[in-house]
Amino acid sequence: MSFTSGTFLVFVLAALAAYYLTPKRYQWIILLIASYGFYLTGGVGAMGYLLFTTLTTWLAGRVLGALSDRRKALPKEDKVRQERIKRRKKWVVLAILLANFGLLYAVKYLDFTADLLHLPRPGFELLLPLGLSFYMFQSVGYVIDCYRGKYPPEKNLAKFALFVSFFPQMVQGPISRFGDLAPQLTAGKGFDADQVKYGIQLAMWGYFKKLVISDRAGVIVATVFGNYTQYRGAMIFAAVLFYCIQLYCDFSGGIDITRGVAQMFGIHLAENFRRPLFATSLADYWRRWHITLGQWMRDYVFYPMSLSKPLARLGKWTRRHIKGKLGKIIPTSIATFTVYFFIGIWHGAELRYFLFGFWNGGIITASLLLEGWFQRWREGLRIKTDSLPWKLFQMARTWALVFLGRYLTRAGSVSSALWMMKMTVLDPEVAALWDGRMLALGLNGWDMAVVFLGVAVVLAVELYQERGGHIRIALERRHWAVQWLAILIPLAVIVVLGAMGGDYIAPGFIYQQY
Amino acid sequence: MESKHKLSSKGWLALFALSVVVLAAALCVFNVVTDPFGVFDDRVLGWWSYDETNNPRTAKFSYLEQHHDEYDSYIIGCSSTSSYPKEQLDEYFGADFYNLIMYGADMLDVEQYVRYLLDNYTVKNLVLNVYIDNGCDYDREADPLTDAMPWQVDGSSPLGFYARYLFADPRYGWTKLMKLRTDSVIQDVHDVFEVDSGAYDKSRRDVEPIDSMESYLTNYPVFANYPQSAPVMDETENCMQSIAVIRDLCEAAGVNFMVVSAPVYYDYLMQFERAQVEDFYTSLAEVTPYWDFTMSSVSREPRYFYDATHFRNCVGKMALARTFGDDTVYIPADFGVYVTPENAAEHVAGYWDVPEPDPAQYTKKVPILMYHDLEGDSLPAAQLEEQIAALAGAGYTAVSFEDLRSYVEQGTELPDKPVLITFDDGYLSNMTYGLPILEKYGMQATIFVIGCSVGKDTYKDTGVAMRPHFSLEQAKEMMDTGYITIGSHGWDLHEVEGRDPDPIRRGILRRADETEEEYIAFLQEDIRRENELLHPILGKDADILAFPYGVHDTLSEMLLHDAGIYATVTTWPGENTIVKGIPQSLLCMNRYDITEEVSGEGLLDLIDGAAGA
Repeated sequence: MSFTSGTFLVFVLAALAAYYLTPKRYQWIILLIASYGFYLTGGVGAMGYLLFTTLTTWLAGRVLGALSDRRKALPKEDKVRQERIKRRKKWVVLAILLANFGLLYAVKYLDFTADLLHLPRPGFELLLPLGLSFYMFQSVGYVIDCYRGKYPPEKNLAKFALFVSFFPQMVQGPISRFGDLAPQLTAGKGFDADQVKYGIQLAMWGYFKKLVISDRAGVIVATVFGNYTQYRGAMIFAAVLFYCIQLYCDFSGGIDITRGVAQMFGIHLAENFRRPLFATSLADYWRRWHITLGQWMRDYVFYPMSLSKPLARLGKWTRRHIKGKLGKIIPTSIATFTVYFFIGIWHGAELRYFLFGFWNGGIITASLLLEGWFQRWREGLRIKTDSLPWKLFQMARTWALVFLGRYLTRAGSVSSALWMMKMTVLDPEVAALWDGRMLALGLNGWDMAVVFLGVAVVLAVELYQERGGHIRIALERRHWAVQWLAILIPLAVIVVLGAMGGDYIAPGFIYQQY
Repeated sequence: MESKHKLSSKGWLALFALSVVVLAAALCVFNVVTDPFGVFDDRVLGWWSYDETNNPRTAKFSYLEQHHDEYDSYIIGCSSTSSYPKEQLDEYFGADFYNLIMYGADMLDVEQYVRYLLDNYTVKNLVLNVYIDNGCDYDREADPLTDAMPWQVDGSSPLGFYARYLFADPRYGWTKLMKLRTDSVIQDVHDVFEVDSGAYDKSRRDVEPIDSMESYLTNYPVFANYPQSAPVMDETENCMQSIAVIRDLCEAAGVNFMVVSAPVYYDYLMQFERAQVEDFYTSLAEVTPYWDFTMSSVSREPRYFYDATHFRNCVGKMALARTFGDDTVYIPADFGVYVTPENAAEHVAGYWDVPEPDPAQYTKKVPILMYHDLEGDSLPAAQLEEQIAALAGAGYTAVSFEDLRSYVEQGTELPDKPVLITFDDGYLSNMTYGLPILEKYGMQATIFVIGCSVGKDTYKDTGVAMRPHFSLEQAKEMMDTGYITIGSHGWDLHEVEGRDPDPIRRGILRRADETEEEYIAFLQEDIRRENELLHPILGKDADILAFPYGVHDTLSEMLLHDAGIYATVTTWPGENTIVKGIPQSLLCMNRYDITEEVSGEGLLDLIDGAAGA
């Protein structure tokens, strides 16, 4: 069930009604039923994966909890048995990691591995179930937290199943933490008009970005990338720009719908995007783009790795043998590279995603290495680091880096991405941008104007937010008529310019058999 | 919350709900008013042709609900059904036919519609057109807006049906409004239906000039490189069951039921599996006898088809003439067989043995010569005589446009080396110098007269002198010799810069300062005046025309066609190929401009190879 379908809206409305009409004690059951109902519409086959992850991680949590209890009950002096239990806990976590990521690997990456090693592809076809990587990351995070004893494991399997499957977020995140989400899911909520209102507003903003902007920009992207050899550099550049617009509006729009819907149920989900356009460095960008994935990687990959014994030993060795900064940062860089390697292949099982990971890891490591130089340049040039031009320069620099990376994530292969980059630089033919050829890519002048106006609105709103503004709160202070217009106009824009867009067939377009 | 006009969150939610309702209601009203699918009787715009293009199933239903008393017979089927002309059906059956073609219709659609027709309307005759694709598709998944059946016909839920169209994407209605602004009388991709007959609007298709195979393959490359597909006929059984139901329904209702099987283009049929095709057409004979036009020499001639799957109206006309034994119409000998269970197997097996037709049997090359004045700057009479003598000496026979018409419409043979001699404008010299030469060599000719110049030697508005033109009486005198035919060169479409007041009309085309409506009114008036002039001597309206300055376009061709013009000539040099059964091969024919530089021998060189088979 797509977020943009009418069925979804009806579904949410029905779930809300049932939720608020149910006594608070049992509200979470409504959410569980709704979530499984939602997931079932995606096909029964995918249910197996969900149940597998739910059961294994829940069991692991229970086992880890029991082991911790036993360890606590032991006298402190009993180092041997303490250690034995600690080792057992490690094995449990390892088994869960292997079972779940092994499944993810089998579904997503087995064909790729076979191709890479020039082996025949495995005969069976596994279908990639909806949202698998999101709920898997979320559940595995829970197991690790249990191992670390951050909170007592959930005893109730049904309540835990709701944590894994909460329907607004399971398809595309955000990746929530058990400690943040689970208590909210099971706590009873009275009807709070504020929350419902905010939720509707946030979801509308998401629909606007997705339906009005992203789906239009995607037309140009598909045309150009689908047949990229037909286009010269400037048009390819434009297509990558449209892809950036499409990707951001689609993903952040989807997350806004997710968080908006959750908020209607009185549930606050973690932020996943914080205006990445205003990032001043690539590292900052990753703190603003797909935040929950970045945080997950930080907490469950980066820190454990950098603090691990082998890397600590390596660090000691490099500091002794390699002079200067390089010697200091090698262990951190290895962890950084690993994180971006995972982020890269998280996108998909292709070489270009590996490269994308290394691109990001490489730039961030390089900027660490060169920081001293930059520092000296800045001082030499007497640049005020808090001035607006410097900030703009930093932002532009970040855009360029992200932009280059986007060639990799959207092009069909590494070679076509490289070809496109080459064309952009060597054969731009800039005239193509205004001699009408841009209007021959599937969007007419009107739709193009809608995209640009839409992007202008998004930029204005984000600039306002970046400077500390809160649209929803500011709106509340206005005259009711203004507030009504702020409902009616966006709603009309979404319906007229966005909704129902996909199934429109231009008359005479398909049947010309007169 | 400082403002006294503050809004509580509950109030906000109420406003939100209200807004949703208001917008939904606005959408519904918009969709009902614009009614792009003809679901709500299109009462405001009444543009059925557009609605039917969007969804023929719903729009034709609404149209028939309002108009079914104008019809008493129906022809029904998928898009190839469109090419059986209503005029022929009406004439042969003595009935009022409606063409219920629905593109992509499968036999279940047809069965459901027939059931509705028989239950609710007066039906005397029902013609079912079966196409080879009916064996491939049955009960297809339909697009909810553009392929949906009316709920009254397929028995689906009215609630779901109206909900879909009430809340349909507003762009459908919006596009209809936009197209309405720029709509032309020339049929366009957004209004492909002719409302009264229910068939595709072929007004444009029927005036496309058709000439040699070479030019046809250039204009219709699909036949030069026919698209390959792998059609599978796995729905024969379902299809036949539905046809049996239709047959029984007609029998029970006492309706005259006839089945025709549409011509299939040869290259397409050859992509099917032979056993499946044989099974389909022999099974059909088991259900009902039918007139079979599936495969014949017609299927191997691209010019009888206008795209990969659709045959032309002229082919539909031949098919109907065959079923009604009308021998005034040309029909290829192997076109159309009445198939019964007895002859089915043998007949269908013959599909694979249809030989490639010999063009010499049904096409002819005809050169046309163009002359003007025979004095002054133009061609001296002596030069004309040399040329005509050369033609006669080389065995050419001058023919008339009426002879060409008999060839394409009735199949009447032409002489071995036919040639057409034409004179433009109606100069007196044609009579004084030309006619005696023609008589001497026994050659006939056609003169295209400019109506407003007849009997004149000055330009009509400026009084500037011009070469004298013969009078109406003189025209009649020439016709009476049997050597001259008179055609139209337009009444006043031939103005000359400096001799006629500005803005001049240089040819038949619409002027930039005219609206389409003004132009149509103007041209119809011009045709009317020309006929008013010529009718007394012709005994009929002018039915051949030379385009002034040779220029023409779709709209002018359509208007002339409507006015009964069956042949037109341009000033473009080149040969012409005319084809039996295709009246359009007489449109926009080329002519060689014959000047004084052309010797008798030179003329023969010019047209050699452009005459005969």
